[in-house]
Amino acid sequence: MTERVSILDGNTFLVCDRQGDIEPSFDFPTGLFSFDTRFLSTWLLTLDGQRLHALSIDDAQSYRTRFFLVPGEPTHYLDAKVSVIRSRSIGGSFAEELTVLNHSEREVEFALRLDMGADFADLFEIKHERQKKGRTSPTVGDNELRLSYRREGFHREVVISTSARGEIDDRGMTFRIRVGRHGEWTTRLHVATNIYGARGEDVRATLPLGGRRGAADIHAEQNDLIDRAPKLGCDCQSLAGAYRRSLNDLAALRYESITLGVRLLAAGLPWFMTLFGRDSLFTSLQLLPFLPALVPPTLLMLAGLQGSRLDDFRDEEPGKILHELRYGETAGFEEQPHSPYYGSADSSPLFVILLDEYERWTGDAGLVRKLESQARAALNWIDTYGDLLGTGYVWYMTRNPETGLQNQCWKDSWDSVSYRDGRLPAFPRATCELQGYAYDAKLRGARMARRIWNDPAYADRLEREAAELKKRFNRDFWIPERGYYALALDPEGRHIDALSSNIGHLLWSGIVDESRAVSVAEHLLGPRLFSGWGVRTLADDQGRYNPVGYHVGTVWPFDNSIIAWGLWKYGFREEAGRICESVVSASRFFDGRLPEAFAGYERDLTDYPVQYPTACSPQAWSAGTPLLLLRVMLGLEPQGEHLIIDPAVPEGMGRVELLDIPGRWGRVDALGRSRSPHDDTRGH
Amino acid sequence: MGEAIEQFFASLPARAPAVLRSPIAGTLQIDLTTGNRTDHWLIELAPGSVRVRHEHGPADAVWTSSAGLFERLVTGRAQGIASVLRNECTFSGQVLLFLAFRRFFPDPPGTRDPRQTAREQAGRPA
Repeated sequence: MTERVSILDGNTFLVCDRQGDIEPSFDFPTGLFSFDTRFLSTWLLTLDGQRLHALSIDDAQSYRTRFFLVPGEPTHYLDAKVSVIRSRSIGGSFAEELTVLNHSEREVEFALRLDMGADFADLFEIKHERQKKGRTSPTVGDNELRLSYRREGFHREVVISTSARGEIDDRGMTFRIRVGRHGEWTTRLHVATNIYGARGEDVRATLPLGGRRGAADIHAEQNDLIDRAPKLGCDCQSLAGAYRRSLNDLAALRYESITLGVRLLAAGLPWFMTLFGRDSLFTSLQLLPFLPALVPPTLLMLAGLQGSRLDDFRDEEPGKILHELRYGETAGFEEQPHSPYYGSADSSPLFVILLDEYERWTGDAGLVRKLESQARAALNWIDTYGDLLGTGYVWYMTRNPETGLQNQCWKDSWDSVSYRDGRLPAFPRATCELQGYAYDAKLRGARMARRIWNDPAYADRLEREAAELKKRFNRDFWIPERGYYALALDPEGRHIDALSSNIGHLLWSGIVDESRAVSVAEHLLGPRLFSGWGVRTLADDQGRYNPVGYHVGTVWPFDNSIIAWGLWKYGFREEAGRICESVVSASRFFDGRLPEAFAGYERDLTDYPVQYPTACSPQAWSAGTPLLLLRVMLGLEPQGEHLIIDPAVPEGMGRVELLDIPGRWGRVDALGRSRSPHDDTRGH
Repeated sequence: MGEAIEQFFASLPARAPAVLRSPIAGTLQIDLTTGNRTDHWLIELAPGSVRVRHEHGPADAVWTSSAGLFERLVTGRAQGIASVLRNECTFSGQVLLFLAFRRFFPDPPGTRDPRQTAREQAGRPA
């Protein structure tokens, strides 16, 4: 696989090769994308007809890259008489400065050519080359090339302009230049991506926050956000690096919703640069102790877009919180259901959980009052449409077999839910963690009802229902002969008996009977699930186990952060610490940027975590992982108006100091230190 | 102006207590075009209540589409956000007002309760 370089600003991003070039690709989304549309599919630089080769790349910043290039193959470049610098940034639009440096003693003539093209593919069309239903037309101007795409009222346009004069044709620009001895020549290319509304104006121009920000604005905004986060001081370099990188990536993943006019968090580059219910809820839970101001826009938008009717195409039901919102052509023309799509059985309980957790940290009861009706509707969904079979559990089954999701839990690939022997069960399915979330949501709903909504009768009812659910769940999901909870129930109510990481989420929810917690923790840290880099999604002796299978053997940092939180809740500090240590160690191999997932191979086997082949990076809930792990290690838990600090820093990690943790208490500091004789040997 | 649209607007005040439960308030203007003609509706939304006037006026948000599309929306045959995404209509102003208003749009015709379908398939009593 060609190594790729990406820059991003919210949901506008560019993926190219090591030379900075873009060539049409149908397996991986290379190109310039904004709001799910590819605005550049070709961007190819040649000098006198020759491709260039990168000497070095400076990509320290999420929104800016610089390529230092010379003509020819690597073996020839040492005596290069000419070099080219491509310096580019992204921020609403895309800008590239091209500089040609003549290193020779005489004036030289060059022909610099940039091939340009836009296929206006919807992100969902990338994997399969399709005939576009609309029409693309080029217009050549004095110093610009304009490519327009129209399908009925749908109108997208890319305008590429150059500061230096060149020969412009339908497919690019050629610059015939003369550069003096030791001289240089430069042109600035600007690529504007336009999304037209019905009156011909760019939709983003009418947004309250202003749709475009330049590289300088992004830099300032990211710094401002990072300044507001607590300061970490620690001995462990991996942890410090991962924390810094996470804050940067979370800042970069914020985007402006084109239809909603607020800043939301995109889920992951390149496939998931949009609003996901589950991803944004989990990410919000992870970053709440650090950046609480990012949470309310997410809650407000998910509430505003809450399901209100029955719609089979979108798997929508009243009270349900959305799964995925897209902005592209296939969503608009209903070739895909993402307008929004509601195929997620966990986002509704998670919405209630986040709202409660947010208030516990910030004391912002106003938002809990404002969203009371939506929170009640989400709770109501659990017992009505969520309980498809009327058995007191949350089940899922898509009504859109063509473009809907089969599995509507976080492991949403087609083969993620199986019996131990690998067989796939029928639908509907009730995975275990959904019941845990439902239980937690009821208890948290009860807390909000009692303290903020002034409805003690409703609180009593929710608590009673939660207690009944816990009892029922421990009876129906527990597999006594195996000592763990079933991954799910099949439509007959039988155990789907695979051993999976889902049981870790049960600890987080608190639905596990105390008497069974030890057994669950032992399985999570046992050799079948724990790889040394973290807990595998599926145990390595199960029928469908595959160390590079998306949800059937890989290790997900986000999953591990929730499991660590759960272990801590049940008092397993040492076990939680082992997970923290392993994931933090893994982050070192990715320059602090944890990918979506890595392979489930034993740590001893590879000595480094093998990245899942098409993993998204940066990915919001992976970026959120180091934050939640810090919370777990320092034992940060709001209680009333105070923050409880109860650190248990894993062996070898040394000092961990988090200053200015924001919350209803103002700002407080937390300090932890591992107690072990090995602590003197630093450099973790 | 189609009869379905007139009926839809007439039904709103009675439906508002059940549909508008969140503390959102403001005025939404709905402009519906038929050929050269534009029909203006002003919808004042408040928690639990709606006031509908067939007129033009100051508004916090404006929805513009053909009367044909709006008729499909009020009969469940089209969906609002997809229409915005394909630019068949435009929307400006406070987005949350439109999101609250879309709750009045009905299910697509012939939609069944998913619980009934699931229980039949699993061979369980509805």
